[in-house]
Amino acid sequence: MNDIGEFTLMVALATSLYGAVAYVMSARGNRIDLYLSADKIPLITWACVMISSIALWKALFANDFSLQYVYAYSNIELDYFYKFSSFWGGQKGSLLFWTLLLSTYTLVVHFQNRKKSLIVVPYAMAIMLGITVFFLVLLNFSTNPFERIPLPPEDGRGLNPMLQNYWMVIHPPTLYLGYVGFTVPFAFAMAGLITKNLDDGWIRLTRKWTIVSWFFLCMGNLFGASWAYVELGWGGYWAWDPVENAAFMPLIVSTAYLHSVMIQEKKDMMKVWNMSLVLLTFVMTIFGTFITRSGLIQSVHTFDEATLGYYFLGFLFFIIAVCSVMIVWRLPLLKSKNELDSFLSREASFLFNNLLLLGIGFATFWGTIFPIISEAVRGVKITVGPPFYNQVNVPIGLALLALIGIGPVIAWRRATWSNLKKNFQKPVAVALFGGAALYPVLPLSNRSEIYTYIAFILCIFVMSTILLEFFKGTIARRDSHEATTVAALGSLIWHNKRRYGGYIVHIGVVMIYAGIAASQSYGTHIEKRVKTGDTIEINDYMLRYEKLAAVQATSVKTRIIAQLAVEKDGRRIWTARPEKEFYKGQKQPVSEVDVRSTLASDLYVILADFSEDDSATIKVYYNPMVSWLWMGGWVIALGTIVCAWPDRLEQRRRLERLKRQEIVFSPAQE
Amino acid sequence: MDHKKVKFALGSLLIVGAIGYLIATGINSTSTYFFTVSELMEQKVSYQGTGLKVKGNVVAGSIERDPNDYLSVQFAIEEKTSNLNVVYQGVTPDMFQDGGEVVVEGTLDKQGVFHANTLLTSCPSKYEAEKEAGKMHPGSLPDYQSKPEPGLNNIDSLPKTTI
Repeated sequence: MNDIGEFTLMVALATSLYGAVAYVMSARGNRIDLYLSADKIPLITWACVMISSIALWKALFANDFSLQYVYAYSNIELDYFYKFSSFWGGQKGSLLFWTLLLSTYTLVVHFQNRKKSLIVVPYAMAIMLGITVFFLVLLNFSTNPFERIPLPPEDGRGLNPMLQNYWMVIHPPTLYLGYVGFTVPFAFAMAGLITKNLDDGWIRLTRKWTIVSWFFLCMGNLFGASWAYVELGWGGYWAWDPVENAAFMPLIVSTAYLHSVMIQEKKDMMKVWNMSLVLLTFVMTIFGTFITRSGLIQSVHTFDEATLGYYFLGFLFFIIAVCSVMIVWRLPLLKSKNELDSFLSREASFLFNNLLLLGIGFATFWGTIFPIISEAVRGVKITVGPPFYNQVNVPIGLALLALIGIGPVIAWRRATWSNLKKNFQKPVAVALFGGAALYPVLPLSNRSEIYTYIAFILCIFVMSTILLEFFKGTIARRDSHEATTVAALGSLIWHNKRRYGGYIVHIGVVMIYAGIAASQSYGTHIEKRVKTGDTIEINDYMLRYEKLAAVQATSVKTRIIAQLAVEKDGRRIWTARPEKEFYKGQKQPVSEVDVRSTLASDLYVILADFSEDDSATIKVYYNPMVSWLWMGGWVIALGTIVCAWPDRLEQRRRLERLKRQEIVFSPAQE
Repeated sequence: MDHKKVKFALGSLLIVGAIGYLIATGINSTSTYFFTVSELMEQKVSYQGTGLKVKGNVVAGSIERDPNDYLSVQFAIEEKTSNLNVVYQGVTPDMFQDGGEVVVEGTLDKQGVFHANTLLTSCPSKYEAEKEAGKMHPGSLPDYQSKPEPGLNNIDSLPKTTI
């Protein structure tokens, strides 16, 4: 089976290379024979990569330690659940996983578009297959997951205990689904450039792909935060680590892209901008992978394999160079028909939203690569940490939050005074009232707390604009259709999925903002060495250390559990059981924190250390409103489903548009 | 260029400028120098008092905890032939152990002792790094038995109760 897996990887490389060339040649030479043969390639390539992946999974499940990869990331005792996820636990497997997703996406795009006879399709397919070629070259010649060990050992080294968490099964695939998904809009945009089809056709064709990929990136980031929160045991969810930044930057750039394409769809503006953004989004996904693979930047979780970094760096520069040349070359065709009229317009607010998002993206990028730049320029490595990112991104983020309230509601072209008054009078009043009400309650002693106060006011403002929109729409629909309020609300959303789905996503974003603002400013923590019966006090809570116990959980895992009674107002409300787990074969223990999560705050308890006399070091965090981040994530998921739900009306409109345009590709009529 | 375009160019420039200003001041006020232990020793300029990040490996047997205050710990980190004494106050990460690679963040005092306010251990990367460096040959099993883990020694003395 291993031989088959290795062989099919080679076949996949050959076929995808052939497919990329054949698609281009068939489109250029209008050759039906080539087109028909290229047409089979996505399926064949996908099948080959799939067989390869199954081979690796089979080796993992069969404990085939003759494979170096299986030896390094699995062992006999490992749970099946984690054997499955070991597939993407290491460098080589994760690249194969990436390739599997990419070829799957290529296949889906193929089935979606092969009947459409659009000239952009063969080029887009060629680009996607070309990118597949890059990954297959890596897999075949640099990081072969089927590398053998001459004398197979009896047992493997096992998966890192830090990775033995259910998030391991969810988080990486989610992030990869997002990363890889942006290949599709990128391929179509470049195909549009090549074929000079520069209206919004490519945007409409790939809209769903953009939304879904964005959604996965967003969830991937949140899942990562959530994983860090429960598993890493430092009481936080985001550390501005280079690898986190690597996932964060594509999210930010794609958010900018997601918004600015709306302006092109509606107003035929910002064409160059959108081209640049889709390129930048794709480049950021590759850059993100480059950071995680290269070990170039000091991070807590790099894969540490320098040679692979050069492949990625080369690929990155190649993509940037080719695409920039293409954009400059087609510049005359990317001229917008309309222009901006007023600062007080939806177009302008979208432009500013883009600038701010890119500002956050650039600041993050700059901070991430600053050590390398400073070393090259000054010969000294200078690093920046969370204070830098917070200092820069928080003010920009607050301005962005204000725009979330303004952008979707302000009038197109030029907002008049009466329009502004109609849309914003009430939300501003509510926000000011909320601000006044919060003023006496919230501490405002340092910059962070002042930012949080501003963030709360803006959150109130944005929530009221969104709720007002829902309210106005529902009332209007109820009056005109004479339905009940609930039915009116339902049909309002159902008939304007994009708009109201977007509002729902915004509600989720506001909740995340609120959660971050509160937890970053009002959190406290305490660490204390305690003996049995000692107490720790934090905020209104009192924790009493009761006992320490050792449990032999499985033959490979020993758990040391501390038990603390948590009291509030003299009443026992919870029993905290933070623990440390020792795995056979791993030198370090893994801390398992215990968290009591409520809407208002989290109580987060860590067993930091213990000794023979049963005394222990306990660290307790009080984190306000962290659960709002996760709830915001669910709301975003709901909103995305509404946005991406198939819309018959829109589909019909799109088909009619495409029919009117003479951009069909039909080699059959030769 | 008509005046609308100029207006928007200026508006955008203002935003870009503000972001640039934030980044520049942010870098200036928050950056820390990053050295390995030997690099730090080779520096001619004194970095006493400035924010520093230093990377090295924990000298085996150097970890000493204050018997009265368990959260205060002293250790030394080494790299090549250089050595640095570090004091740290707080909970140490799971992977903080003899020989482990750590990054400490803090300041140097006059005596050349490093006062760390954060202590980071680099983690899963170790896996691949060890293999790449040839420390562990493919086909050989890791010798986790030869060096007992500090915490596991204590298990026998603990009450074997189930909560």
